[in-house]
Amino acid sequence: MNPVAAVGVVGGVLGAGAYALAVLDGAAARGVAGMPRRWADVVVEPARDAALLALTRRSTTERPDAQAWALAPGLLAAMAGAAVASVPLAEGFAVADVADGIVLFGAAMAVVMVGVYLHGWSANSPFPLVGGYRFIALALSYEMPLALVLIAAALPAESLSVGAIVASQAGSWNVVRQPLGLPLYLVAGMGLAFWGPLDGADGADLAGGTAAEVSGPARLAWELARRFVLVAVALMGAAVFLGGWHGPVLPGAVWMALKTLALLALTVAIGHRVARVRLERFVVVAWAVLIPLALVDVFVSGALAL
Amino acid sequence: MGVIRRLATRAEAPVFPVVGAGGRLRASELALLPGIRLVGTPRAASVLLIIGDLTPALVRPALTVHDQLPSPRATVWWPVGADRGLLQAWPGLVTVEAGDAEGLRRIFAGLVEGRRASDPPLLLDIEPARWRGEGPYGQGGTGMTGGVPFGRPLPGRAPDPDGLELDQLPLHIGPLFPPFPPGLVLDVALQGDVVRQASVGENPFRSWPGGPDPGPLDTGAFVEALTTPTGVAELELSRARHHLRWLADALRVHGLSALATRVARLAATLAPTDGPEVEALVRRLRRSRSLASATAGVGAVDRPAADLPAGPVARAAGAGDDARTDDPAYRALGFEPVVHHGGDARARMHQRLGEAVQSLELAGRAGEAVRAPGPALEGPRGPLRRGRPTPSSALVALVPTALAGSEWGDAITTVVSFDLDMEEAALSEVAGVHS
Repeated sequence: MNPVAAVGVVGGVLGAGAYALAVLDGAAARGVAGMPRRWADVVVEPARDAALLALTRRSTTERPDAQAWALAPGLLAAMAGAAVASVPLAEGFAVADVADGIVLFGAAMAVVMVGVYLHGWSANSPFPLVGGYRFIALALSYEMPLALVLIAAALPAESLSVGAIVASQAGSWNVVRQPLGLPLYLVAGMGLAFWGPLDGADGADLAGGTAAEVSGPARLAWELARRFVLVAVALMGAAVFLGGWHGPVLPGAVWMALKTLALLALTVAIGHRVARVRLERFVVVAWAVLIPLALVDVFVSGALAL
Repeated sequence: MGVIRRLATRAEAPVFPVVGAGGRLRASELALLPGIRLVGTPRAASVLLIIGDLTPALVRPALTVHDQLPSPRATVWWPVGADRGLLQAWPGLVTVEAGDAEGLRRIFAGLVEGRRASDPPLLLDIEPARWRGEGPYGQGGTGMTGGVPFGRPLPGRAPDPDGLELDQLPLHIGPLFPPFPPGLVLDVALQGDVVRQASVGENPFRSWPGGPDPGPLDTGAFVEALTTPTGVAELELSRARHHLRWLADALRVHGLSALATRVARLAATLAPTDGPEVEALVRRLRRSRSLASATAGVGAVDRPAADLPAGPVARAAGAGDDARTDDPAYRALGFEPVVHHGGDARARMHQRLGEAVQSLELAGRAGEAVRAPGPALEGPRGPLRRGRPTPSSALVALVPTALAGSEWGDAITTVVSFDLDMEEAALSEVAGVHS
């Protein structure tokens, strides 16, 4: 694909996804809080917030690591973009249908860890730094189940290509064939996007964690970047577990969009219903429950694929 | 005016609140006001909102926070109660009637449209102390750590429970840290995410020359009832409201801010007929597995319940003392104190939920029953007795030991679970009437 068109498609998918996520989140927050609002307002609200951030000056701290600070959101966005590029958005249409798409996704999500830590470290301020520590402490607990459930999904397809995995779900979707896969994947994905109950890195208990010191356009960039990660996670989840473009009547691209939105809506709902987890406890649960379950998923899927 | 500016003008005004003397009740209603959004860090705010009066010790932290707001920024003051004049000298301060969200929004819109100039910085942007580090990065002493560049010590080292020598970061947190009760100052030594030591710093509400002079306390209705005959229904409704306001704060800290807003609205408009709605809420929260696991075993106090300062915290640990038991007005209603066991943050949440439901039920059937003035009255944080220490001042003393060794998230859960009020804690004893 033409590189400019490729960047346009990836950017468009991430941008539209992030906006839809913000609208869903705003609507859910209004609903839970019991504050009725006109739909038009809910839809425009994210654009208003973004405009305000764009007009606000960025502030600085005492001796920040300026380059790393500016790089961090870019790194997150780039990794989300790389992940999106490998996902087929419709039958036979992926920006870059690499043969090892699953591996690329896993690698990109591992680099997210670097981006979040950089963001915390470079502000030269205690709360962001502690937020960065937290993400490092938790990230391995996310990466392991994520990689394992993706491997399990690749087994019936006998391929690491995302397109092949979607094609292998023509008969029945992986969410049915491998019931453990999607729940584990979503937990790991929400962790990687530090979303909802797994928002340790940017938590309210740290006055915003790694984002405690950013304002204006830098804040906008960071808020976008972390939503891009969640969008990439949802898009990949729709392809790998919900059958991607497969579906009756509607065109494949519409099915992909609907399935991605459904996963985003699910993460938003979880974010408003589930309290922030205790970090140490979560690590114990991840290693004692989630990773063993992910291994069971791999073994059972492997045995069935033989 | 460009499209972006027009859009930005209609955004919710991001507000960072500074809660001064007498401002706590007003602050609890902030999340309900339309067109305003509370933010957790000054870097995300356009408006610094000072609620109530600043005490001398709050001025410097407020100025520091002010200069952390990015341009364009404005400072709005909602006066509540007494005004001792410290804020008159604040350059560019706009006074708006307390609770007036529209007035605040007008200032915000003027700021974004460029009709109003952004506040200039109020402090000098200079190094707080001379450079005292050595080496190219000011690392000072030997190895990677040590030294005191610009007067702030780099992390020292201390053994952790696994026997490793790890960095230990000394931090001074408060008095304006949003998850804490306004005015709480903690000096903590953090090892990564774990609190090694904690001590409570000087209470800024004690800093008036000539002793503390609080504004209207959030428990003012109870203090007044010590000397004035008051309807039981009115008192119990105040108690239920207090516990629901606390619940809203706690939910916000647990990452459930939308639900917190719903609870805050319930607290603000509570009537005895809201019993079913409160009971449904309480059932839902009691069933929540995630809230249970976020609070179970957190902030347990390591002393017998009988030694705890009386009140909901002690009742959550199994000590059934409640000043209402001996009150004739309550005896006539067949009052029995609610008691929970466990003494951790979870028990304290269940305790307050239980008391809120009970208070609402009492308020519903108290009718015209009036409580005669007496020497002791059960306030929402503990017994109020004239001339005796306030409940908060006894509870603050529990904080350091309850925090040591806990993760930062658990430390916040613990602090919130004590339901402290630093203004009340500044009073050495329960005094007479506060208007």
